[in-house]
Amino acid sequence: MNKGMVFGGRAACFLPIILVLCLTRNSNILPVAEAIWLTIPSSGTKCVSEEIQSNVVVLGDYYVIDENNPDHIPTISARVTSPFGNNLHHNENATHGQFAFTTSESGNYLACFWKDGSHQKDSELTLGVDWKTGIAAKDWESVAKKEKIEGVELVLRRLQGIVETICGNLIYLRDREADMREVSEATNARVAWFSIMSLGVCIAVSVLQIWYLKRYFVKKKLI
Amino acid sequence: MERKWRKIWGLIGLLLLNFVNNVSSLSLTITKVECVYKIVRSEGDIVSGNFVVVDHHIFWSSDHPGIDFSIISPGGDILHNLKGTSGDKFSFKAPRSGLYQFCFHNPLSTPETIALYIHIGHIPNEHNLAKNEHVDPINVKIAELREALEAVTTEQKYLKARDAVHRRTNESTKKRVIGYTVGEYILLTIASVLQVVYIRRLFSKSVGYNRI
Repeated sequence: MNKGMVFGGRAACFLPIILVLCLTRNSNILPVAEAIWLTIPSSGTKCVSEEIQSNVVVLGDYYVIDENNPDHIPTISARVTSPFGNNLHHNENATHGQFAFTTSESGNYLACFWKDGSHQKDSELTLGVDWKTGIAAKDWESVAKKEKIEGVELVLRRLQGIVETICGNLIYLRDREADMREVSEATNARVAWFSIMSLGVCIAVSVLQIWYLKRYFVKKKLI
Repeated sequence: MERKWRKIWGLIGLLLLNFVNNVSSLSLTITKVECVYKIVRSEGDIVSGNFVVVDHHIFWSSDHPGIDFSIISPGGDILHNLKGTSGDKFSFKAPRSGLYQFCFHNPLSTPETIALYIHIGHIPNEHNLAKNEHVDPINVKIAELREALEAVTTEQKYLKARDAVHRRTNESTKKRVIGYTVGEYILLTIASVLQVVYIRRLFSKSVGYNRI
């Protein structure tokens, strides 16, 4: 009981620091460390894509990182397209942006970024992209609030989500392997069948040739 | 009083959650050199990941040099260097915190697509004397469990990417078998028809000379 109070006391001291660190995580004051940083070339677009199945939540967040001149941050344009070419998100002349959507078809989702025409300097830009799909995109804070769970129970619920994703992935891989096995076996049968048929075509064509030539020479009274 | 401490622990637990989710998976196209940067927050974090060359062109030359891959630490040392690969897994313990670079180099001019997955795992130390905080041992165990699950997920991403490559190879083989076989039949027929036409021409012009 005593130990609990001592530790609780120390934790209460550090609570505001932890809170500040966590709350500023999502703003532009402190860059988010989970994101991946890319360099956008001075001319041309930089695209990142991912192969996503249907019915998956995708959450994206991008922001320009420029320590050289903080008061004149270069702007970029972004576009996110679905595998069928539909434009899911389009933003011009921005230093940061967010997008969220649920995939309706499975395929390759592409997010492209390019530098804006107004900042045509010959320098490359660093862009931070935070791209989350599926279980990583789930809003656990709202789940915690809605179901009134907290602490260890919430973490375990999260782990259960991860395990379910793993199961789903395994089933997907198994189905793909079954598809591929069918394609392989069909190709194998085809190779055998087509090779024998090509031998048959060869023989048939040469027999036809000889028959035709013989008929021709007999007609021309050469034989 | 008890409820208050439970709430505080709950809040800390929730907040600590934010620090352990650190994954990024995406596909990039590489024309010459492409670098991806990632911040590792604390020293001792385990960085693991994999990459697979998806668009490895299955063309005439089977001696494609492959893609060069290197990981550069914030201090400038090269932690991992692979030449001429078509996909690999990597895992290392970050010697210091900071910005790590994952660089790809394409020796040929044809652009290649690479599916990359990086995961940074952080397990809080039970007695982190430097930061003077005390972490509940259950949180450490939960973090370890989570890292184990993330290792499974990392492996699955690798398998998915490899499966995609294998599928492309298979479909390309199927198309090639059909295409080349039909082409072969047509060429064979054309060659034999041309042979017959040629022989006809030979005998029709010089009949007079060859008549016995």
